Amino acid sequence: MEASNRADDFISAGLASLGIIPDEVDLAVMAAAHQLFWPPIRDLLALDTSGFEAERCPDLSRPPGDG
Amino acid sequence: MSALDLPLREQASAIAAGSVEAAELLEATLERIAQRNPAVNAVVDSFPERSREMLAKAPKGPLHGVPVVIKDEWPLPWRAQRFGAAEMFAVTAPGESGPYRALRDAGAVIVGVANMHELGASSTGNTSVYGPARNPWNTERCPGGSSSGPAAAVAARLVAGAVGADGVGSIRFPAAYCGLTGLKPTFGRSAMAGHHLASISSTIVSGPLCADAADCRLLGSVLFGEGLAAGGAAGLRIGIVTDTVSEDVAPEVRAACEEGIEALRTETAGEVLEVKVEGIEQGSLASVLIANTESLGDVSPERLNHLNPELSPIARGFAKYRMLLPAAASVKAQRVRTLMRHRLAAAFEEVDLIAWPTVPAVAPPLEAPLVELPSGTLSADQANVRGAGLANLTGIPSISVPVGFAGGLPIGLQLQAAWGREDLLLDAAEALERANGRRWVEALSPVAEAEPSEV
Repeated sequence: MEASNRADDFISAGLASLGIIPDEVDLAVMAAAHQLFWPPIRDLLALDTSGFEAERCPDLSRPPGDG
Repeated sequence: MSALDLPLREQASAIAAGSVEAAELLEATLERIAQRNPAVNAVVDSFPERSREMLAKAPKGPLHGVPVVIKDEWPLPWRAQRFGAAEMFAVTAPGESGPYRALRDAGAVIVGVANMHELGASSTGNTSVYGPARNPWNTERCPGGSSSGPAAAVAARLVAGAVGADGVGSIRFPAAYCGLTGLKPTFGRSAMAGHHLASISSTIVSGPLCADAADCRLLGSVLFGEGLAAGGAAGLRIGIVTDTVSEDVAPEVRAACEEGIEALRTETAGEVLEVKVEGIEQGSLASVLIANTESLGDVSPERLNHLNPELSPIARGFAKYRMLLPAAASVKAQRVRTLMRHRLAAAFEEVDLIAWPTVPAVAPPLEAPLVELPSGTLSADQANVRGAGLANLTGIPSISVPVGFAGGLPIGLQLQAAWGREDLLLDAAEALERANGRRWVEALSPVAEAEPSEV
């Protein structure tokens, strides 16, 4: 099945499943946000990061693996 | 020149030497805020009696008697932060925040709370419960966000120094738009206690916005609780990247930044080297995902169904959209964080700094914050975040320094260094100031050129 960037189904189904009630302005804002965020999020999800683990509780004040 | 227009460090030294009376400077600052602030809406709350009280009790610290403003992002003992919004998702109360204590213990006098973009959620500063702050270089233009008020206050010379916060570029964007020097410290290095997201955020830091690097060094050292020694920047290895962040940039911004890099190279007898840092845009997306999901613990569907109607439509809609962001994307974002930290650590073995434009275009109109880039018309937020999020994602320090103007609006160059190397960023910024004869840091905005003061 093809992945989709369509906002209509995703947003209305997602909000309904959470019991969040949007108004028309909310939906317009969310559609714009979806258009902006969803394509790069899909690219991010497609990234092969297997075999590469995130640091556990990284100390962001230092380089990785330092101290 | 009026003491009001002196740099932060010179105000401090003039007060220490007795050539300026701190009480007079405070009253003149309050008067100037009353005169100039209506044009820029940078200061959203002032409290003269509290300020006078602070001065009366001020210790003889490095900022004794010097007026400053602080972003509406931390509590003060007499005022809870509002985060620029009609409603916050976290509970807040008045109190002694880390930046408040740092300023108080240094002898500084807080003269106002500075405006910010609603909920810290944009690079533009065009939306706030207080109404937008305005750019002192052109009051119809965005001041930058989310530290809009701190930047507008300094660029209008209401004060010489301001404390801002940077979660995804929020000090550097307004520094670039308003022609200031803005330092985003290494994660965890500057005072953050009392911020409503301090215990959960892995991206937000406090930092200084000032006219130049020497003032950022002084205010930064106060926020760090330790000195930031000046050391020169001889033989600087300046890294540049071939990437959207340096190429999909308005021609005049690109030219000014390239000139700035060349001037820095010449001044430091250094070299410019191309470095590979793959995945910069994915890193920025990861920073946005992390910053937007870390605070979801305070949100529930029930809460979202009863949002304050005075929140902007964008804030209401986006608050709901955040609930739909996939958990898998947040997990991937953490892996990208590690990946980018390793890539940057490798890059900083080869170079001392990595430079690219802070933002790809000058400040857009408040009413329609869109920018024209070689790739087409983009929202300013979409374009700006590309080059800013990496520092927040990985924890490295970064600074925006002014390097020119286009159409009367400032241009900023971003310099990034390895963890803990704020000293080097400030040394480089000072070298760049020397190289261009300090003309960009000493340029005055039209609002700041208004009537002189007697003090």
